[in-house]
Amino acid sequence: MNFLKFITKKIYLFIFSLFLSFGFITSSYAVDITIWDLSGRNGQDEFYDNLNKEYKKINPDVNIILQTFENEAYKTQIQVALNGNDGPDVFFNWFGEDSARLARAGLALDITPYANVEGGYGNYISEGLSNTTAVNGKIYGVPNTSVSKYFHYDPAFFEANSLAVPKTFDDLLNLCRDIRAIDSSIVPWPLGNSERWKLNHVITMLNQRVVGEENTAADYNLSASEDELFTNPAYVEAWQKVVDLQDAGCFQDAPNATHPELTRSMFASQISPMIYCGTWCGGIFNSEGFSDFSYFRFPEVVGGAGAATVGFLVPSGMMVSAKTAHPEIAAHVASFMVSDDMALQAAELMGFMPSNPTKIGEMSNPTHWFNFYVNDIADKTGHVNVLDVLLEANVSNAYLDMGTEILNRTKTPQEAMDFIRQVALEAKAAM
Amino acid sequence: MNKNNTQTNSFSLSNDKVSATILLVPALIFCTIFIFIPAIGTIVGSFYSYSLTSMNNWKWVGFGNYVKATQDEYFWVALKNNFIIVFASIVLQVGVGTILAAILDRGIKYGRVIFRTIIFTPMVISSVAVSLIWLIIYDPNVGILNAIFKSIGLSTPSKGWLGDPNISIWMIMITAAWQNTGFMMVLILAGLQGVSKEVYDAAEIDGATGVKAFWYITLPMIRNVLIVAILITTIGAFKVFEFIFVFTQGGPANATQVLGTYIYLQAFNLLHMGYANALSVILLIIALFLGWLQLKSSRKA
Repeated sequence: MNFLKFITKKIYLFIFSLFLSFGFITSSYAVDITIWDLSGRNGQDEFYDNLNKEYKKINPDVNIILQTFENEAYKTQIQVALNGNDGPDVFFNWFGEDSARLARAGLALDITPYANVEGGYGNYISEGLSNTTAVNGKIYGVPNTSVSKYFHYDPAFFEANSLAVPKTFDDLLNLCRDIRAIDSSIVPWPLGNSERWKLNHVITMLNQRVVGEENTAADYNLSASEDELFTNPAYVEAWQKVVDLQDAGCFQDAPNATHPELTRSMFASQISPMIYCGTWCGGIFNSEGFSDFSYFRFPEVVGGAGAATVGFLVPSGMMVSAKTAHPEIAAHVASFMVSDDMALQAAELMGFMPSNPTKIGEMSNPTHWFNFYVNDIADKTGHVNVLDVLLEANVSNAYLDMGTEILNRTKTPQEAMDFIRQVALEAKAAM
Repeated sequence: MNKNNTQTNSFSLSNDKVSATILLVPALIFCTIFIFIPAIGTIVGSFYSYSLTSMNNWKWVGFGNYVKATQDEYFWVALKNNFIIVFASIVLQVGVGTILAAILDRGIKYGRVIFRTIIFTPMVISSVAVSLIWLIIYDPNVGILNAIFKSIGLSTPSKGWLGDPNISIWMIMITAAWQNTGFMMVLILAGLQGVSKEVYDAAEIDGATGVKAFWYITLPMIRNVLIVAILITTIGAFKVFEFIFVFTQGGPANATQVLGTYIYLQAFNLLHMGYANALSVILLIIALFLGWLQLKSSRKA
């Protein structure tokens, strides 16, 4: 009898605690929005902490959870995650062929309907910028920044050795020779191509300068006829310019075995007087103790078909997973990241060139490199996207591989282009 | 009485069968989920063309992916590299491991435990960490290997230890040997310690000492251990991935590609998931064959 009483008591207690926990669960209903981003950005943790705090002011039930990944690993992990059921709600991407493929495959959410709702990205960024993420007229991303590339140089070294900033490609070759003549152990332009993308950025610009963006367009999107695809001899000429740079002593020995981070450190520690580096580099050089650097654009190729006023620009930002359980909130969080105040914070904390420039004038003590990047990008007459983001995956890989082969002299420029054309023909046939 | 005994025996026999089946069920469930279903999925997927970002759009290609493999230059490069790694690993890991084990077993009198511990230590470090450490050693600009070569007046490879397609695979092998030789040494040392001292005493009376004793007594006596060591090394060499991925990602220009990294490249970078499945099936067949060999030799051992 006592035992029965005991059991009955326990059952009542269990039911009572169930009620209690139900009440607790309902009163603390919260939504977790997971964001995947690249790691290693200066000020990133502070930015995301602030994002979480600021977003809670307008939507207290939402927790923003940041997960970061190393650059190369991220490119694979995001694809696997989006196919699974445990992927992020919002994720970083570069806008080009990669992002378009995710959209076409139905892995990224069409966020066009969320553009002009209250707090939607359409309130903060231009239509032109949104359209860089468009596939078949639908918007799939919220660009929050763009990256470009410049030659960064050490003005003190240039001044001490009476060196001039090169205006043309031939000037650049001569500059490398002059630096080697001063001291043959100085590497004029350290190139870390162990991950293959460093030279890919150089050949992106050389193709633009030599072949011209109008002539490359049909080849890049594989719409050129089979007879014409990548047959323009100027592509070979562009590769030849890489060989010329190497022959002029611009790079150190073994660029294919040198990590990009090491070359940044070579410049930051003033071992090398110049480097072709992205707009993310200014903050890195500064964090490594060198801030008295200056910049110049990729020089003009005299006789080339592309204008010297065109620059390298890769828009990047956030996409929303098609599998998110909270599409509206996820799109709203992605939009909130480019709101006036958060765009200002992204610029101040992470050195972003914000896609929403409304409050850029309110920046406290913008760095000299930030001012240069922003003003110079605005001054340019056009932009080209980088080949490893823009091209179809197999053609992109062929370009990356050929960069390695050219630097190793295991393939001539002509052989490199023959290989790329072959891969492009196969890719076109498979489309 | 006999009848009763038979009944009891058959009852306990069937009881044992039930128990055995019940005990096997958890292992079978895990094997089915984590091995059999993915393996069947891989085999089925190898007959289709699809990518990671078009999982709902599978196109039947029959044996097309296998035919493609036979015509793919880089598949053969990867397979060749796997065989180079097998050969080099056997020479470096099993060969050097045997020599070290012999030295520790009979060659030195003091400090055996210390030497054994030092040689075995790299084995407990993760392959990725080992690769990162050696990446710094091999660096053409700040690496200690270049500094050592230059300090004694030797020239260094102008394309870098890992940037030169002719030597990069061998540099990776050296690192793999540095990490794994200790394990081989311990394995073979265990075999050596099982060889009776009386055999050596008898051989000594017959005039076999030193290298002669090692060649005619030790090696035949540990033959089975060596076979197992070779098979473990061979299977490991076919499964190699981390070293290549961290060091070169298969580069420069596919020179260090192995099947593991090439499958990864095809699946996740070039988005040829069906083709990657076919390559995986080929790797599976090789691994199964080697596994069968290992089982056979283990039973003999």
